[in-house]
Amino acid sequence: MSGNVGGSNEDKPNLVPVLDMVFQLITFFMLVINFQMNSIDKSMDLPVVGSARPVKSGKSFMMINLNDKGQFTVFSRPLPEEQIPGWIAREAQVNRLAIRKSNPNFADTDDLPTVVIVRADKNTPFSTLAKIIKICQENGFRDFAFHARQPDA
Amino acid sequence: MRKKHKATDEDVELNLTAMLDMAFQILAFFILTFRPPKAEGQIALRMPPPMPIAGVAGGANPGDQDTKDPLKDFKTLLIIVTATDAGDIRQLYVGKPPDQQEVATDPALKIFGTKLASLLNDPASPLDQGVIQVGSKLRYSELMRLIDVCTRQTVGGDPKTRLSKLSLVDENG
Repeated sequence: MSGNVGGSNEDKPNLVPVLDMVFQLITFFMLVINFQMNSIDKSMDLPVVGSARPVKSGKSFMMINLNDKGQFTVFSRPLPEEQIPGWIAREAQVNRLAIRKSNPNFADTDDLPTVVIVRADKNTPFSTLAKIIKICQENGFRDFAFHARQPDA
Repeated sequence: MRKKHKATDEDVELNLTAMLDMAFQILAFFILTFRPPKAEGQIALRMPPPMPIAGVAGGANPGDQDTKDPLKDFKTLLIIVTATDAGDIRQLYVGKPPDQQEVATDPALKIFGTKLASLLNDPASPLDQGVIQVGSKLRYSELMRLIDVCTRQTVGGDPKTRLSKLSLVDENG
């Protein structure tokens, strides 16, 4: 007659498949995580525009967020108006230094290929936007992308 | 004399609990920091800084007058939009100066679009860029409606060429 001889007969759960599934999930989230999305201020209500094209990724960009009160926000925090020119100038300088790594002849007066992404609340007055655009242009930015919501299909 | 203790066969088990706990910690971090992007579109424009240029007076050569109008030679279309206090479009003028005409504003800006199309595709008067002089109080949503209509237009009768050179100027300079 067969039977267990001595010893306790504990049933221990096999954790290997659970661990494997957890690692699969970690890998998934590691691949889709994008810390640059934190620079988008999601509290604002973008206008709906029919001809808005899907966003093309790949080019370097600088994010401009303007909320409905006309405040310039960085990582969802309003930036005082007097600090805006300095912030944009620093971003321009950072972009120039990055370009000079591959192109040492890039001059301070050359146009920056960086795209300025403008995300403004639909109620933002144009005067606020005009000031920001002018400061960007003074710092060498020429390409602008005005973000809007696409209409629901 | 001591008896040598025989080594008994013991199964070596790997304790996975600690590793699983650490894996769950990492997973929780990535779940909390995961933010799916909203579907957003964009309208791309190339906007060099508007340069103060000489105005045009009745067909005379550029440079006869000094004005602050951000126009450049004869190929620029000027659109002037004034705003109400609420930020809506009050009036729209479009054309090459000094022949700008007021355009009736309808909710879909169809009349404006038709007028724009006729100006941009006029072979007798080629235009390749536009300047929009915008009222300070105009809301961003209204501006985007205007830009939407502008960027849908073809230039010179070529369906592949769209109006992408647009400058935006505040009415207050």
